[in-house]
Amino acid sequence: MDKSDDPYFIDFPGRIRAIQLEMAKQGIDAYLGSRLRTLSWTLDAFAPWRSFVVIPAEGLPTAFTFVIDAARLADDSWLDEDHVMGFAPMGGQDQIELIADFIKELLPGGKGRLGIESGMSNYLPEGNLTHYEYERYARALPGCELVNAHTIIDRLATIKDAGTINRFREASRMVDIGHQAVLDALQDGGWKGKTETEIAGLAAYAMRKAGSEWEWSFTGGNEIASGYRTGLVGGACTPASRRELREGEPLMVDLHAMFKLGLGDHAHNYLIAPVTERQRWHADNFIDIVKRTLQTYRAGITPSGLAEQMIGFADERGFADYMVPGFEHGIGLMGDEWRIGLNDGPFPYWTNPDHVYCAGELIICAMQYACPDEGIGFRYENPIVLHEDHCEPLSAFPLRVDEIH
Amino acid sequence: MSPEWRDEAEKRLRTELSAERMNFVTSSMSNVYLNCPDGGSRYLVFRFENGELAELLLGQGEPPTAEFKITGQYETFARITRAELSSHRALMTGKLKLKGNMVKALKLAAIADRMNKVLSKIPASY
Repeated sequence: MDKSDDPYFIDFPGRIRAIQLEMAKQGIDAYLGSRLRTLSWTLDAFAPWRSFVVIPAEGLPTAFTFVIDAARLADDSWLDEDHVMGFAPMGGQDQIELIADFIKELLPGGKGRLGIESGMSNYLPEGNLTHYEYERYARALPGCELVNAHTIIDRLATIKDAGTINRFREASRMVDIGHQAVLDALQDGGWKGKTETEIAGLAAYAMRKAGSEWEWSFTGGNEIASGYRTGLVGGACTPASRRELREGEPLMVDLHAMFKLGLGDHAHNYLIAPVTERQRWHADNFIDIVKRTLQTYRAGITPSGLAEQMIGFADERGFADYMVPGFEHGIGLMGDEWRIGLNDGPFPYWTNPDHVYCAGELIICAMQYACPDEGIGFRYENPIVLHEDHCEPLSAFPLRVDEIH
Repeated sequence: MSPEWRDEAEKRLRTELSAERMNFVTSSMSNVYLNCPDGGSRYLVFRFENGELAELLLGQGEPPTAEFKITGQYETFARITRAELSSHRALMTGKLKLKGNMVKALKLAAIADRMNKVLSKIPASY
């Protein structure tokens, strides 16, 4: 299928050529990618095991993964089986020797500049080269200078193409199906006796029926919080627990779906009756700040500028104490989470508060409202595409805090 | 690793392994024997086409290019042939080194075992 008839088409060979062009500019002879985001972005396949991609100065890349998964990865990827190699603890086949030998054969005389991916992340499966791997590769490639080059990928991956956005759009549609399934299950007393894990599961079932590949988040798949757990301080991470839903309590449902490495991520909130006026006040505050945030997001603004405006709004309305002062996290094809732009701010590898958003960037509009003293909180997450004068939320589930009776 | 052994190996592989038993495979493999009794190195290259043995080369020095290359000490290969050491264990302990696409090698592992079984029956002294 080509670009003209596949809405999810991504020009992977074009991506490789763009990387090779940047490599040439930076005098890099070969690139050794190890981060999950790099693997997804170049291979079009999910690489759950430690994996690498070697990109030569010209021609096709070659992927390396644990041998038990190499055939599947080749089957999913746009690359043929000659460009997906398996490694295993066998003579000549361990990842260091196999890949180092491969790189030596690529480089004349085994000499050259090898781009690697080094750094740190608060995202666990980031996949930077470990210190041990770095030392082993450096020893195995005595003719090579290893240089940190991950910004090549990060820069190229910042603006999303139509195929990527459509994959996110489809994953978001699946998340909306999950939310509808949860709403249907909770209504008319259906919530009674249900646990957080059960809600996570019934949403997962509905999304998988719709074609979702998995509940991709390393935060425990679908995140569900009820009662006091919705209001934990800064509590934007709540793997589902075995806690049973109770009347008079809030419920937060944060669902994740994946479609061709595109990620759905949308949170919806509930109040289980009876609902107090104070709870409704909190809920209305939350809905109002989400609406205002979505109205504000567009190209040209910065994370810090937006946060100042929104916290100012919350302060005027008297609920600033309950807002976590962050309104987004980065997103890209599977494995590219948290990063905004190039993460080149005052704290290395963290969001640059002065990053100026551009049209075509895709982020998760994310905010957490938490009042631990009252055991109540709400979360909003939704992938949004930034345009020149507005943002486009991809999940279309109605924005409201539903009261469940 | 004598010419006589090579000729016997070729004869047995042709008669004892049908193309069907060899899964009609088209592939090639070079075994490189380091530190042979005379101190030198030898190679043995097997080339199959559609399951038929097309070529069996015995030589010294750098072997011709093959899809897979297995390198090890002569003594290691001898122990495998005498059934004192499995080829899997030799690979997993690094006594043998495999070069080539591991995924494809996995597909051919059973075939390689069949070949080794035939070769191990050739009377030889090590």
